[in-house]
Amino acid sequence: MKSSFPKLLALLFAFTLIAAACGDDGGDTSTGTDTTTSAVADQGITITVTGPERDESEAGAISEVLGAWGDEQGIEVIYLGSADWEAEINVQVEGGNPPDISIFPQPGKLADFARDGHVVPLNDAAAAATAENWSEAWNVFGDVDGVQYGVPVKADLKSLVWYQPARFAANGYEVPETFDEFTALVDQIAADGNRPLCVGIESGQATGWPFTDWVEDMVLRQHGAEVYDQWVEHEIPFNDERIVSTMQTVLDLWTQDNVFASSGSIAATAFQDNGQPLVDGNCFMHRQASFFSAFMPEGTTFGDGEGEVNVFYFPDINGDRPVLGAGTLAAGFNDNDATMALLAYLSTPDYAEARQVSQATRKGGGATLSGFLSAAIGQDPSVYQPLEQSFLNVLETAAIVRFDGSDLMPADVGAGTFWTEGTSAVNGDLTAAEAAARIEASWPQ
Amino acid sequence: MQGAILTGEDLSKILSTLILITVAVGASAVLWIGTNVLFNQVRSSWIRFNALAGYAVGFLLLLLLQGNRLLKPHGPDSDSITRLGELLWTPILGGFIFSALAVILANNDDKVQRLWIASGSGLVLGGFIGVRIAEHARPELEILPLLLSTIIFGGVGAGIALLRGNKPIQAALFGGALGWLIGGFGIPELGDGSALESAVAAAVPALAIGAQIGLSANADVVGRARIDAKSRGWIFLVPALFFVTVSLIAPTLITIWLSLKDQDSVDFVWFENYGSVFTDINSFDVGNWTNIFTSSLFLLGALIGLAGLAIGLVLRKRTGDGFAAGGPAFAPLMVAVVMIVFGVLSVLRGTIMNNLWWVFTVTVFSTGLGLAIAVLADRAKLESVAKSIIFMPMAISLVGASIIWRLVYVARDTSKSQTGLMNAVWVELGRWSTGSGIPTVLGTLLVWVLVALGAAAIGRSLASRTYDKVPLRVLATAVLIWIAYRFTFNGIGGFRTNSAGETVPDTIFFVQNQPFNNVWLMVILIWIQTGFAMVIMSAAIKAVPTELIEAAKVDGATESQVFWRVTLPQIRTTIGVVVTTLIVLVMKVYDIVKVVTNGNFGSQVLANDMFEEAFLFSNTGVGAALAAILFFSVLPVMVLNIRRMQREA
Amino acid sequence: MSGDRPGIDTAIYGFLRRIPTGVLWLIVLVWSLPTLGLAINSFRTRDNQRGSGWWNVWNDGGLTLENYDVVFSASTTAGLKESLLNSFAIAIPATVIPIAIAAFAAYAFAWIDFKGRKWLFIATVSLLAIPLQVALIPLLRLYNFGSHWTIPFLEKTVTLIPDFDLVNTTTAVWLTHTGFALPFAIFLLHNYISELPKDLFEAARIDGADHFTIFWRLVLPLSIPVLAAFAIFQFLWTWNDFLIANTMAGTNPDAIATTIRIANLAGDFGRNEHLLPAAAFVQAFFPLVVFFALQRFFVRGILAGSVKG
Repeated sequence: MKSSFPKLLALLFAFTLIAAACGDDGGDTSTGTDTTTSAVADQGITITVTGPERDESEAGAISEVLGAWGDEQGIEVIYLGSADWEAEINVQVEGGNPPDISIFPQPGKLADFARDGHVVPLNDAAAAATAENWSEAWNVFGDVDGVQYGVPVKADLKSLVWYQPARFAANGYEVPETFDEFTALVDQIAADGNRPLCVGIESGQATGWPFTDWVEDMVLRQHGAEVYDQWVEHEIPFNDERIVSTMQTVLDLWTQDNVFASSGSIAATAFQDNGQPLVDGNCFMHRQASFFSAFMPEGTTFGDGEGEVNVFYFPDINGDRPVLGAGTLAAGFNDNDATMALLAYLSTPDYAEARQVSQATRKGGGATLSGFLSAAIGQDPSVYQPLEQSFLNVLETAAIVRFDGSDLMPADVGAGTFWTEGTSAVNGDLTAAEAAARIEASWPQ
Repeated sequence: MQGAILTGEDLSKILSTLILITVAVGASAVLWIGTNVLFNQVRSSWIRFNALAGYAVGFLLLLLLQGNRLLKPHGPDSDSITRLGELLWTPILGGFIFSALAVILANNDDKVQRLWIASGSGLVLGGFIGVRIAEHARPELEILPLLLSTIIFGGVGAGIALLRGNKPIQAALFGGALGWLIGGFGIPELGDGSALESAVAAAVPALAIGAQIGLSANADVVGRARIDAKSRGWIFLVPALFFVTVSLIAPTLITIWLSLKDQDSVDFVWFENYGSVFTDINSFDVGNWTNIFTSSLFLLGALIGLAGLAIGLVLRKRTGDGFAAGGPAFAPLMVAVVMIVFGVLSVLRGTIMNNLWWVFTVTVFSTGLGLAIAVLADRAKLESVAKSIIFMPMAISLVGASIIWRLVYVARDTSKSQTGLMNAVWVELGRWSTGSGIPTVLGTLLVWVLVALGAAAIGRSLASRTYDKVPLRVLATAVLIWIAYRFTFNGIGGFRTNSAGETVPDTIFFVQNQPFNNVWLMVILIWIQTGFAMVIMSAAIKAVPTELIEAAKVDGATESQVFWRVTLPQIRTTIGVVVTTLIVLVMKVYDIVKVVTNGNFGSQVLANDMFEEAFLFSNTGVGAALAAILFFSVLPVMVLNIRRMQREA
Repeated sequence: MSGDRPGIDTAIYGFLRRIPTGVLWLIVLVWSLPTLGLAINSFRTRDNQRGSGWWNVWNDGGLTLENYDVVFSASTTAGLKESLLNSFAIAIPATVIPIAIAAFAAYAFAWIDFKGRKWLFIATVSLLAIPLQVALIPLLRLYNFGSHWTIPFLEKTVTLIPDFDLVNTTTAVWLTHTGFALPFAIFLLHNYISELPKDLFEAARIDGADHFTIFWRLVLPLSIPVLAAFAIFQFLWTWNDFLIANTMAGTNPDAIATTIRIANLAGDFGRNEHLLPAAAFVQAFFPLVVFFALQRFFVRGILAGSVKG
């Protein structure tokens, strides 16, 4: 038996491999561990939903509303927010372990997954539900190559400027109606020795995104929706001279005299730190999305009274009232009946109302803004506060709604170079043209 | 949250977790200890060893066949208990047959009888198993491929044996058996064959294996000792090798494979991904390398380095050893290296340069500080307090640490009070040094007292003729003089002169200002990893035999001589472990960069780049290439380090 | 300088002599400042944290336990208690099992003679250099599907590792940690075990002890300091790990680790970052307990009387 033992083991191993091979060809996979499936089935159906929203109140509201729906249907619904959703969802999909439904903040990502066959098209019932509950302008973001994959579940309004009406009145400033009036106001405030704007683009891993929002809003204003679409679709290069000039416009507006940056430089100032200086009067205006209400100092009230904060529409140039929006879309990774039924429910005004009520209560109730907004058709407006109703009004009356471009571009750009090279430009390390050229170079072929 | 801390639900969860872990660990332990005990029998009782080993082989073979559903019967709808029984009874019974055979062979020293018994029973057993093979797995034999693969494998086996200088017959039998199995079950379609065919496919190789075993003589004492010795290494290694293969080696091979493919892992692009990494301006930005020679860090470093070199050369002439660790030339040379590296790497920019900078800085400072603290604390009162505080950052997660430090570095508009510690100190320092109040006076006094102390330290060294520390003290005093001069005359700290000629406070953007923002990020990791270095080296210092230290002290060595000449050589390999581990760990750093800057402001590092490419941008190819670059660039450093440690040990 | 009488120079020299100890405590002070700031901020309200530095705590008008309240009671992602239990279910096996496996391997590399052991050791330790991100997707697939391999040319798929349905369990997390921990564990333990005095082993061999007995009776007890050191690190690395726990079990609310819960507490865009100081302390509590509990094993003289020859 000298030294043949290892060889015997090796042969045993080889034999196992071949034996296993035969097992597979026989139609069965691997060993007899299929006892587990029956155990899961006994517990009923569970649907797992993931998404980037993870605050106690946001995620709590989603869990509560979906849980209540699940109880009616006899389904267990789990919502899990994730701090690292963007990376996590890729890993889960590649690893063969996706959730049943995920809520996408980026339609571009949804489209990628749809084209790779990871997310599935809505079934007829769910597609009909979303067509009925949301306008075409929103549903188009969940539409990939003519097939509806996504259900809009949340809307953000980005073309807003936060200000204090009482402070405006005290200084004799008026809310600008056109972009020229806006720049004139900026100049006037600066000339009066004050700082017109609060700007900060630091946001941890997403540093730079407020800059991209400004650029997108301005492209929409200066060059119109058509050029915007071409830019986002990469039909014109990123360093097209129109885009470069728009980036330059933004940078020119953000001069030392025009901007109060609470950390001393725009690139170093956290975007969420702009609420306090606005309330304190260090600056007069802050262009930021509807959800910024949640970043105002504690106890801030909204309205036209003394010390209160309000918003005005970021004025347009050509009178076409374009609106930059953003939001989230839900899509399913399988076409089980329960998954599709939940997707259909997510599109309904019932869901939006229930979530709004739950979230507002969790934020403290009363006149507190929930930070949530939905553009679903047929919601009861009374669940929203007056300011939120005015957001809805802007969304409804807008002739042109465009989704946040960086969320539509490939992630390399939209969550990559547009942020980083844009930040370099803001920081003065690169010119607008250099930054645009680098972003263009990074666009995937 | 009311009432009992743990509810029944929690208890049952804890219990089930405990049971799971106990079963998993217990089963593995029984298996491992069992194997050890089994091989203990080789020397004590050869028969018992054969009986047990034979049983184990038979049991495993049949279990694997049964587990893969290759043997009849297999009831489709039986419940899990019945299925478990079916799974187990053949192996349990079959094990006895194998066991009996092994005992018979172990008792028999006659060559001819051994051959007959082994090959005969191989034929019978193989044939029996072949007949019992389930219908879906029966092959439709094709003679030509069967013979071909048997001949090829047999030939290869014989060839290898000849090359190694052994007799070819046994290896040929083994190879032939393997070839026959592959030709019999691997090549043809399965499921169409008859019982006879699968019997032939299984019996022939079993016969060959039997013959091979039968041909070898029953192990004598020497042979048994060899089995005993050879088996131990593998028994102790196999658990580790299994885990490492599954969770590290296989994924790495997959990654290297993917790095040669395109974004969607479909087509081969060979080294295009690597090319794109190296040609990217963000990876390598060395265009203005000439600025190195105008960098004051570099020039000053070179100057100090030359001074150190000069001291060392002079000393070597006089004592024969000018560059000993802890000697007079040591400190200036160390300082010079750090300054020169900083000078060079602050000019050459890009992801790869950043990584080099990180590796150098964090490794040097964490090891140095960790060692210093371990040594100093070793003889200090309140040792455990000091060590606990240094260790504390390790207990805070990397993400938590990054958030703390973002808070330390944060700057605020100078019209408001600073919330970041560093800027608060910096701005206050600026205020004091440019002001004229009591703090200014006290500060001026303090800095000059420090200068005086430095001078006194130099004087003491000179007076007592211990020149070892003179250069370091001169350097430290020079720095103090510079600070004192600036404080007194120009002002030092966070202030600037505005257009109106007034002195106003000014902040530093630690995280945003290139290129030294990188150093401030490294500080975070140094803050964390010093605790790591300290704990490991402290354990090593404790293990230095007290006798050696006492002996040195009796010979009249000073504290610092004991450290440089006794302790340090004793813990050399441990320092090697710390340095190697830190190099690798720093090379892979990504959390800090991700949380604090996410690669903005010229602070990108390889691992974060890889994370983004692979997981955010879905550029699998480039991500894999970055991972491979990361791996292969540290590999030589590691191998050299470990080789050196092996030689030293 | 008059040497006989104690004067100002002696005082200065005495002071200088204490500089090393002074440096130690200076480093300790600098090291503790960020943590101290974190500790103080954990008791301050959001607006106070944002408005002034922690050293201004005296002007706050009182500390608040509100942050801790929220950290303790938040339950959307998972309750504190549940997530702590999960973290223990991950960190304990992920600490104990690698220690055992690595100790076997380190002993084999150090004291068992076999062909190619030096190179096998180098190869094993070199795996330290592998960025663990590369293994996430392959391992997730392994836990999800098992491991199957299609033999080239023969077109037959073989099962190497069956699917045990481990995905989304804490078991998957600690198994992953076990694999990743081994290169470092083997490296560290080998360094220590290989330097144990040779005479001990020779004496034991002469007495007829086999490797198993030597390992169990001699090596393990003598290696306690290094085992404790490794246990400390491995426990806190696995306790503080976010990436692996999130990848392997992030979508199962019954397997959420504390790190995931805390990351979610921070909120979208870091809206609730003021909770993080409190959360960081809650998170760091158990690693510190482990450190203090194991620190007493770092004692001098465990090898007393056995100077390496």
